[in-house]
Amino acid sequence: MWEQSDREIIQEVLNGNKDLFAVLVARYEKPIFNYVYGLVRQRQDAEDLTQEAFVKAFFALRTYRDSFEFSTWMYRIARNVCLDYFRRQRIRSFFSLNTPVGEEEEEELGDFLPEGKDPEEGVLKEELLERVSQAVGQLPLKFREVIVLRYVEELSYEEIARILDVPVGTVKTYLHRAKAKLRELLGEEFS
Amino acid sequence: MGEKLEQYLRHLPKVEPGRSFAPSVMACIAERARPSYRRYKRWVVALAAVALFVLMLTTNLPLTPRLELFGYRTVRLVFCSTVRNPKTVAVAGDFSDWESIPMERVDENCFALTLRLRPGKYEYGFLVDGKWVPDPLSLRAVADGFGSVNSVLVVDGDTE
Repeated sequence: MWEQSDREIIQEVLNGNKDLFAVLVARYEKPIFNYVYGLVRQRQDAEDLTQEAFVKAFFALRTYRDSFEFSTWMYRIARNVCLDYFRRQRIRSFFSLNTPVGEEEEEELGDFLPEGKDPEEGVLKEELLERVSQAVGQLPLKFREVIVLRYVEELSYEEIARILDVPVGTVKTYLHRAKAKLRELLGEEFS
Repeated sequence: MGEKLEQYLRHLPKVEPGRSFAPSVMACIAERARPSYRRYKRWVVALAAVALFVLMLTTNLPLTPRLELFGYRTVRLVFCSTVRNPKTVAVAGDFSDWESIPMERVDENCFALTLRLRPGKYEYGFLVDGKWVPDPLSLRAVADGFGSVNSVLVVDGDTE
């Protein structure tokens, strides 16, 4: 679609072709939105926060250093925007959030019909998937975050470590503990 | 069984922003890039606050008339002349660098002025139609070195 690399586009934006930033937005809006939504679990808030993250990125573009991928940098900005959001709600970043899944999310779950992915049955059970989604929503933020980055965003441990600015070992520990917590929440079916 | 959980986690629903997301981001950027008073609002407010603070500390303007902040005390000087119906009465003292401050007439022979002074001892006197007159109500007086006397006003540190 658009052949230029992120770095080339950033350079052009910095040279004055500001409209080209829309290409970067189009390129990363879905993963960043999914990440933000995975954290805040409110569609409208997620859209607002994702927009805020891109706007902040635009105005901070001169500070971007290509020691990171642009996507990693965007995830970091989105993460900070989300943490500010939680602070505004007087919720600490490491506080356990028990946000219930909204109707909208339930509809999305209803629309999702995975095919041929279950090694045993060939089809994932919709009801179980909904329970897993709800359980993820009950995880403490730091655990939820690594689950979203690893399984929804499908990032590597190294990428997650760069985004969270923690060692890879910490990411693995968080993931292990997050899954243990999920199994505890989900009961026998997943234990 | 751990694989089962991961299988489900990999299939958590993905969501997408609305179709107009990118245009609305660009519109928001354009809006914020526009010069606006709001961008400088915090600096304007901060400068105004500093200016007010400096005025409160360095002047006698009635910016904190009742609060007695920063050690100022309210002192009311009253002068009742023995001369009938003087035209002008002013007060001068080391609280005004000996510049005369006109007093307000309160009746035919009496004039008054409210000052805000820090605790301390001040020499002063009245100028009645241009003539130096010590305060007849003051209990203390000192020679002024010019053959006359100055009255002494003591403003104590207690809150009034």
